[in-house]
Amino acid sequence: MQRYLRLFMLLCKIGLMRQMAYRPHFFLMISGKVIRMLLLLLFFQAVFLKVDRLGQWTFDQVLLLFATFHLVDYIMSITFQRNLSYHLPALIQSGNLDSRITLPIHPLFMASLENIDMMDFISFIPCLGLLGYALHRLNYAFTWVQALMYGLLIVNALAFLFAIVLIIATVSFWTTQSAGLARVFDDLTRVGRYPLDIFESFWKFFFIYILPLALISQVPSQALLGALSPGLLLYALAATGLLLFIALRFWSMGLKTYTSTSS
Amino acid sequence: MMRKALLIFRLAFMERTAYRVNFMLQVAGGILSILIVVFLWLAVYRSSGRSELGGYTLAEMITYLLGAGLINSFLLTTAENPETSQAIQDGTLSNLLLQPFNPYWVWLLRDLAGKLFLGVIGLAGYAIVAFLLREELVLAPDPLRLVFFGAALTVAVLLQFLTFESLSLLAFWVENTSGFRFTMRVIMEVAGGAIIPLSFFPALVQKIFALLPFPYLVYFPMRIYLNKIELAEVLPDLIRAAVWAAGLAGLNAVLWKRGLRRYTAMGD
Repeated sequence: MQRYLRLFMLLCKIGLMRQMAYRPHFFLMISGKVIRMLLLLLFFQAVFLKVDRLGQWTFDQVLLLFATFHLVDYIMSITFQRNLSYHLPALIQSGNLDSRITLPIHPLFMASLENIDMMDFISFIPCLGLLGYALHRLNYAFTWVQALMYGLLIVNALAFLFAIVLIIATVSFWTTQSAGLARVFDDLTRVGRYPLDIFESFWKFFFIYILPLALISQVPSQALLGALSPGLLLYALAATGLLLFIALRFWSMGLKTYTSTSS
Repeated sequence: MMRKALLIFRLAFMERTAYRVNFMLQVAGGILSILIVVFLWLAVYRSSGRSELGGYTLAEMITYLLGAGLINSFLLTTAENPETSQAIQDGTLSNLLLQPFNPYWVWLLRDLAGKLFLGVIGLAGYAIVAFLLREELVLAPDPLRLVFFGAALTVAVLLQFLTFESLSLLAFWVENTSGFRFTMRVIMEVAGGAIIPLSFFPALVQKIFALLPFPYLVYFPMRIYLNKIELAEVLPDLIRAAVWAAGLAGLNAVLWKRGLRRYTAMGD
């Protein structure tokens, strides 16, 4: 365990060194990402200039939802998202995966964490500020239990996303590419930015139970606001557990078919 | 000359079609995003209980979102002119300079071909969405407005190319221009009106945006289409957009000339 932790720190360092090679570029990309988040915020503000509630959600609550979505989204993009979605298919296609699976560490560790995105790590800090601001506007009106649940459900959201991204990436063992599919999923996860109250009843049901994108930010936010039913909590945990199990099985199946051919 | 230009255009177009599946998926992703936004606005109008927000009825709003999304899909989404900057950085510009055709025009033609391709695919995708929402749309206005709409789009295409090209040409001086282009795209999308009509923003923000050329990219053509601007005001605005384009073209010419003098054909 400690070895993996050391390895992770090392990967962070390498990532920082690689991305800081072009220093002006590094800071420009970060400011671009921060500006993008601020402009999105401006967009929500513009919406709430016209209405005071979206479904059941007030502006402050939407702010929490928005910050939570970006918190999860950033952690995902700092760590496993691009590694699995874009890097792994390239490794499979070129046959370079060989050099990774012969290392004395778990192959999934290397496949999902090889390139740590330090650019996103730095853009992540203002996002934490935004979360702090949202909590401040909500007057910190939550109990310890609710805060704990919030943390737990964020971990749950990350596990859920990890499972889906892993499943999509694993497809590339057979097709040698899945970048297009990964991109569609990227677009789809944006549903998590908005309160699901915006959808008609069918689609609301769909995004909570069938393709539970609600797990990304809606469920954690509701937990913090004390508006989560125990049933939905159980469902969120169970759905993630099941999906993670399937994803890991699928991954081992894919790894077995890997033939290390290169072009 | 014309034949050469057409050939470059055709080749670039064919190159694009080689990766059809990826583009299809990209368009599918774009449609999903637009549907989500349409749902969002349906909910906003529902919860506001009003029939008009920011000067837009629900039908006008949905038309705006689809139109802006379509313009966005070929104007902004994948077009950041990376080729120029890449050729300067890796030295392949040397090869291009030896050819009997100015590389700058090649890049312009290739950019236009890319936009046409994305436009065709985008049109196919949006046709499906528009059909689903056909009850909610504002249909074509009078022919004169359509002509102006087309003219505004043409200027927008050039304006967009010239903006990114001036950043891409900076590669003569700096090592990596993608940070500039990324930041520009982010600002352009919002300030251009690709996300929502600019009239929804606070007054101060609107004033700042109006100082930039970006509102001519999406907001202006859509306002022409949706009857949100008097016909008499269209022409002066169109001229203003053209002046912006001419100014940027001048800047491009200077950058290109000075840059070439600095160019050292460094590469690997």
